[in-house]
Amino acid sequence: MKVPLHVAKEQEVKAAGFKPTPETEIKEKFLAKLDDVRSSMRSIMVMLETCTKCGNCAQQCHSYLGTNDYNNFPAARAELMRRVYKRYFTTAGKLLGRFYGAEEFDSELISKWMTYFYQCNECRRCAQFCPFGIDTAEVTIAARHIMSELGIMPKFMAGIAVNMEKSGNNMGIPKPAIVDCAEFMEDEMRDETGLDIKIPIDKPNSDVLYVPSSADFFTNVDTMIGAAKMFHHLGVNWTISSKILEAANFGLLFNMNVMREHNQRLKEAAREVGASLVVQGECGHGWRAARMYTEGASGPVPFKIMHVLEYAAENLSKLPLRKLPLRVTLHDPCNYARAGGVIEQPRQIIRACVEEFVEMTPNREENFCCGGGSGILMDEMMEIRMQLGKKKAEQVKALGSLDYFAVPCSICKAQLPHVMKHYGMGSLSMGGVMDLVGKAMVFDK
Amino acid sequence: MLYFIGQVFPYIAMGVFLAGLAWRVLTWLKAPVPFQLTMFPAPASAVERVTAVGKQLCLFTPLYKGDRTLWFWAWIMHVSLALVIVGHIVGIYFLTQQFTLIGLSPKASTLLSESLGTVAGIMLLLSLLALFYRRTAIAEVKRLSDPADYFDLLLILAVVITGMHMRLPTVHVDLPVIRTYLGGLLTLQPVPIPENWLFISHFLLVNILMIYFPFSKLVHLLGSVVSRAMISEAPPVYPTPAGVQRQATIFAKEGQSYESSATRGQGTGSQSRGV
Ligand code: SF4
Ligand code: SF4
Repeated sequence: MKVPLHVAKEQEVKAAGFKPTPETEIKEKFLAKLDDVRSSMRSIMVMLETCTKCGNCAQQCHSYLGTNDYNNFPAARAELMRRVYKRYFTTAGKLLGRFYGAEEFDSELISKWMTYFYQCNECRRCAQFCPFGIDTAEVTIAARHIMSELGIMPKFMAGIAVNMEKSGNNMGIPKPAIVDCAEFMEDEMRDETGLDIKIPIDKPNSDVLYVPSSADFFTNVDTMIGAAKMFHHLGVNWTISSKILEAANFGLLFNMNVMREHNQRLKEAAREVGASLVVQGECGHGWRAARMYTEGASGPVPFKIMHVLEYAAENLSKLPLRKLPLRVTLHDPCNYARAGGVIEQPRQIIRACVEEFVEMTPNREENFCCGGGSGILMDEMMEIRMQLGKKKAEQVKALGSLDYFAVPCSICKAQLPHVMKHYGMGSLSMGGVMDLVGKAMVFDK
Repeated sequence: MLYFIGQVFPYIAMGVFLAGLAWRVLTWLKAPVPFQLTMFPAPASAVERVTAVGKQLCLFTPLYKGDRTLWFWAWIMHVSLALVIVGHIVGIYFLTQQFTLIGLSPKASTLLSESLGTVAGIMLLLSLLALFYRRTAIAEVKRLSDPADYFDLLLILAVVITGMHMRLPTVHVDLPVIRTYLGGLLTLQPVPIPENWLFISHFLLVNILMIYFPFSKLVHLLGSVVSRAMISEAPPVYPTPAGVQRQATIFAKEGQSYESSATRGQGTGSQSRGV
């Protein structure tokens, strides 16, 4: 079976800090890891054992709707794990075998896992519609973790792990380049506003540590500029840290130990600069990792954690905003809405920044994923990525003419321009919500 | 044989049912939830959390948002099943005279009791058939189904059909005798099972169902509660309040500390990192 993505080669696996597993030991290690995950995550046990196979989740998954591939139907995806799980870890599965839907491990299974667990965007929409709240994203997280522990992972993920380890960000930007980029953005802001707006780096004794997405230093500079202008205007004592110039946490998307290391790096960086508040920039899963996983992964922490959109919404009345003459809609990143509780804030901000805000349907916690979620941004998967983005494209198309499409998440920002182009909306301009804040702010010179 | 079916097997069935369910739930609860899996918008307080979970479980709201037909039949099935179970307990205990307690004449009480039972039974029968049909009619669901998924439905159907058969006007069932028999079982002084083959088959099937129950997907009865409780947990608060420490032994084998499990893969550790 051919896996539609580039699997990391032995060299790359090792570079990322993993040990490849010899063919002959795969089955044994696989079962040991599955056992490990099962006893470490209640969700896996309960969710694998509770599904009644009612099929309600089928029509709710954009991945299934876009690809029309049976194995992308959430319950069928989970079955890829459930069937072996039953065979080796349940009484009925051991006794009744096929009758009960239990299956032996076979060598094809890993390819199937690589294929279909990397076509799940971990968007959690299925959980919203399952009568028991069965969250196939959890199964996907566990499956990807098991595979990476065996040394099997996409080349894309392995590369990011190496960059993160080396430079503290996914793009592998070294500190001198970070400083350069910050200066470039400071110049931009000076030209535009005449003000000396700083982007402080590694400034000790800062109250606020801002953790942008590394892409905000290259492709999405307007997001970074929006945040910098806001902090400047509010007179905040803030800094970014070259140790963690990355809101994203790709560990959550392929290996839980990497997730934990990344998370602890955040704790360490906050301690270094002395921040009592960590503000996470526009990144969906990174927000989930910071908000929902910090307590479990880094133990008690002495600082508060907020999302930049929460922060902006809280201070909205203090910002000198003038409404931009735009018709704007918002894509709710899955990890803000369903998995991260940032739902109303982006709406409040956009309403304050532009003249017309329109909702797409469905929205908020029922929104469809952009199709790039969980780091499915591999170039080699472009065709599948366009299928995963189909639902989103339909939603946007239904709104008629728009001036701006707000997609406040780095992964969405990387995925959606391709999707829009593919579905004939290439001219629509898009970007973050902080971008709008930056543009709507008027400074007295 | 009748002695076994009537006076021994019911105890085995009840024992397996209760112990099996307890064992399943305890295994789940023993596994930690290393990270909050809160699904937003999240209930703000404990009371709201209980109400939210209660509503989802009693009204099947997530199904209502999705497949309305499935919601209808699934809901009818579960509600009529609940009615039938309550009806059995009350109806047999009071020998259909329960409604005299609210002022009906004995005759009217029997009539009401029997009609209610019949209606609930028919609803249950129809909804089970509808769910069975649905399993074969929707392509994805059909492909997803294993023999066990049909077997669950057929087993419950068999219980319902033998039960409903006893309601036919042509069949005579001696309720007081059954009450004496069940009473004997409950008070641990079992008496011989009434030699009515319809009753025996109905009762035997119920016992088989009880044994099968904890090992099948029918545990969704309790899995739903555990799962729902998990995804409606309150999100973490920062700075971490004093005394809060999340169970941190994720993915580590027993005895192995959290830190030492930080090495990846097969434990080569970080020496090989960044090579
Ligand atoms: S909606 Fe839930 S119970 Fe139904 S098939 Fe999907 S995961 Fe299983
Ligand atoms: S998490 Fe999202 S992509 Fe994955 S199975 Fe569920 S609905 Fe589909």
